[in-house]
Amino acid sequence: MQERDLCAAENRGARELGAEKLVGWDEVQQGVVLNSFEGDATGIVLKKAEERLYSDFNSYTATVASWRVQKPVFNIDVCIDCQNCWVWCPDSSIISRDKQMLGIDYDHCKGCEVCVQVCPTNPKSLLMFAEHTELDAALSQWPEKTKKEEK
Amino acid sequence: MAQKYDIKETEVWDGNYAASQALRQARVDVVAAYPITPSTPIVENYGNYVANGYVDGEFVMVESEHAAMSGCVGAAASGGRVATATSSQGFALMAEVLYQASGMRLPIVLTVVNRALASPLNVRGDHSDMYLGRDSGWIQIDAFNAEEAYDMTLCAFRIGEHLNVRLPVMVHQDGFITSHTAQNVHPLSDDDAYQFVGDYKGVDDMLDFSRPVTYGAQTEEDWHYEHKAKQHKALMDSRAVIDEIFEEYGKLTGRNYKRVESYMMEDAEVAIVALGTTVETCRVAAEELRAEGIKAGVVAPRCFRPFPFDNIREALKNVKAVACLDRSSPGGAMGALFNEVSAALYTTEARPLVTNFIYGLGGRDFSIKEAKRIFMEQKAHVDAGHITTPIQQFSGLRGPKLGFFETKRS
Amino acid sequence: MIEIRWHSRAGQGAVTGAKGLGDVVSTTGKEVQAFALYGSAKRGAAMRAYNRIDDKQIINHEKFMLPDYVLVIDPALAFTDNITENDKEATKYIITTHLDKESLIKEIPALQERADRVFVVDCMQISLDTIGRAVPNAPMLGAFVKISGMFELDYFLESMKRVLSKFPQKIIDANMDAITRAYNEVK
Repeated sequence: MQERDLCAAENRGARELGAEKLVGWDEVQQGVVLNSFEGDATGIVLKKAEERLYSDFNSYTATVASWRVQKPVFNIDVCIDCQNCWVWCPDSSIISRDKQMLGIDYDHCKGCEVCVQVCPTNPKSLLMFAEHTELDAALSQWPEKTKKEEK
Repeated sequence: MAQKYDIKETEVWDGNYAASQALRQARVDVVAAYPITPSTPIVENYGNYVANGYVDGEFVMVESEHAAMSGCVGAAASGGRVATATSSQGFALMAEVLYQASGMRLPIVLTVVNRALASPLNVRGDHSDMYLGRDSGWIQIDAFNAEEAYDMTLCAFRIGEHLNVRLPVMVHQDGFITSHTAQNVHPLSDDDAYQFVGDYKGVDDMLDFSRPVTYGAQTEEDWHYEHKAKQHKALMDSRAVIDEIFEEYGKLTGRNYKRVESYMMEDAEVAIVALGTTVETCRVAAEELRAEGIKAGVVAPRCFRPFPFDNIREALKNVKAVACLDRSSPGGAMGALFNEVSAALYTTEARPLVTNFIYGLGGRDFSIKEAKRIFMEQKAHVDAGHITTPIQQFSGLRGPKLGFFETKRS
Repeated sequence: MIEIRWHSRAGQGAVTGAKGLGDVVSTTGKEVQAFALYGSAKRGAAMRAYNRIDDKQIINHEKFMLPDYVLVIDPALAFTDNITENDKEATKYIITTHLDKESLIKEIPALQERADRVFVVDCMQISLDTIGRAVPNAPMLGAFVKISGMFELDYFLESMKRVLSKFPQKIIDANMDAITRAYNEVK
C-alpha cells in the first residue's frame, strides 16, 4: 500500500514539468489549444484516472516530484476518511476512491503540507517526513494520541 | 518632512529598484497602482517608502489598471506630481485612460516594464505593450539598462511637466532583462536629484478653488480636431525640450543621452536599428565584427514618441544596409520600427537597403551570435547590391524559415 | 569577463545570493550583472541565476553564457539538471552535497572527466546548523570566495555585513557563520 505509482496509468508523471518536446511554429496547435485526452473523451468522467488516455500536454503526464523537500506520509490506521485533505489539496494529489482515502499521488504532490494542516484526527493521519524517508520508517515514528490538557 | 535615503555612489540595483528610487527622489505625491509582473516592485517599493517615511506621498490601491490610470488622471488634474507602473495586460487595460491623460495634458509618469501580451499568456519581456501605446499621445522614452531606467525616470518628470510640453511620459524598460537584472548604477543624492527635477508647477489645478475648472470636456466635430492638432504639435515641439533636459542631465551626471543614440556609426556600412537591451547586445556584436573588418554600427531611438524622424535620417544617411529589429508581433504588417525608419530613409538621397526582423517575442533570448549573423546578412545585401532575402524575416524562431515579401525588380 | 551560473530551486535564495555577490564585487570597483531565469516559477521549481563580472561596463544582455563557475545549491539538481551545459575547459564546479567528492563524482558521469575541477560543500547542512533553515545561498558564497580566490574572507564578510545591514544582528551573525564555515569546509 501507498506505492509511489498508486492508481497511476503508465504515463503519469512521465516527464519533468517543462521538459516537453519543443516543436516549430508549423507544428504548434493553433489558438494555444491543448487537448486534455487522446481521442474521444465521451464518458471520461466515469473512468478512473488510470484508465483515461491523458494527452502529452495534460499535467497528469508531467511530474513535479523533484520540487519537494519534504513529503506527506499517510497513515491509514488513523484516518477517518473525512475527505478534508482531498478537498484542500491544491494539486489534486490525494487519491480517494468511494470516499475512502487511499494515499498520495507523489508525481504531483509538491510537499506544501496543506493536507497535514487540515487533518483533524489525533494523532494526524498525514505527517511530513524528509523526502528520502522509507514508509515503514515513517510509520514506526508515528506519534501517540495526545491527551487533552487538564483544565 | 521625509527622511533622506542613504545612497552610495555606486549601487547594484535592478531596473525596477532604480525606477522606484527615482519616483521617491522626485517626491511623487500620488501613486495609484494595480501591480502586475514584472513591474510590481516599482510600486511595491514606493509603497514601502511611503510607509517608512522616506517620501511624503499617497499610495492608492485600486481595483484594476483602468482604475489605476483613472486615479492618476484625477490626482494629476487636482494638481499633484503623479506616477505609476504597469506591464502587458495591465497596460492594455489602461489603454482607454491613456488617451484621456494625454488629451487632458496631464504630465503623469508611467514606468512601463515591457512584457508580452497574451495569448499565449507570458510574463516575459517583449515590446507588445510599448507598441500598443504608440498612438496614445504620450511621450515614450526607452531605457536600455537599469541605470538608464533611473536616469530616464528622473528626466521624464522634467520633460512632461515642462510648461511648453505638459504631456504624460512613459519610461520603458525590458521586462526581466532590465527590470530584474541588477547592475552597477550611479544614482544622484536625494538633494541633487530633487534639485534637478524641481518643484511641481501647477497648471489649471482642479483644487485651486480660486479658479474652478472642468477637465476633458465633450467636443464634437466643432472642437475635437483643433484640440488633437494642438496636442500633436506639443508632442512634436517636445523634441527641443527633451534635448535641452538631456543636456542638463548630462552636465549633472556625465551621462549624455540623445533622442537617437548612435554607436560606431561614423563610418558604418551596415547598421541595426533596435530598442531596449537589444541595443547594447548589438553593440557588443558590432564591436566584435569591427575587429574582423566589418564596419557595423547601431542606431537606437531613445525617444520612441515623438518619433525622431529627422535624427534617424541623419544617423543612417551614410549606411548601405539597415536591419530594423521589432520585438513585437507585427499583426499582419511590417514591424513598426521598420515602417517608421523606412519612411524616414525614403526621404534621403541614399535610400539604403532596409529589412525587417521580428525577434525575441515572449522573452526569447537574443544572442550576440544572432546579432552578428544579422549584420553579416546586411553585408551580403551590400555586396550583392540588392536585398537577397525576404524583406521581413523571423529571428530565433523554431521551425521552417519564415519570411515575407521580396524586392520588386523588373 | 567572469561568468557564473547558479543552479537552484525557486526559494533557495540563488537570486539573493547572486545579487549579494554582485553587491560585494561592485565595492572592489568592478562592474557586475546579476540576473535570473524565472518567470511564473513557483517555490521548488528548478531555476538558474547568473552573474557577470568585468572591468568595464557590461552591456551584453543575452541569457546565453559560457560559465567560468557553476554553483549548484540544491543537492538533487546536480543529478537532474544539465549542470555541465555550455561549460569550458576550465569551468569550476562547486556543488552542495552530503556526499564526499569521490562518491558524488562516481554518481554523475558528466563530472568524471572534470573531477579536478569539482569542489563539494554541504551548504544545506551548514545553513541548517547556522541559520536554522535550508537557505544554502550564504554558505555557497563562502565556498565561492575560497575557490575563486577573488577576495580575502575578512573583506567579503565585512562587505556582506553591509549588504545585510537591514536585517537583525542575529541573522547577520548566522550568515557570517555560514559563510565562514563553508569557506573552511569546501573541498
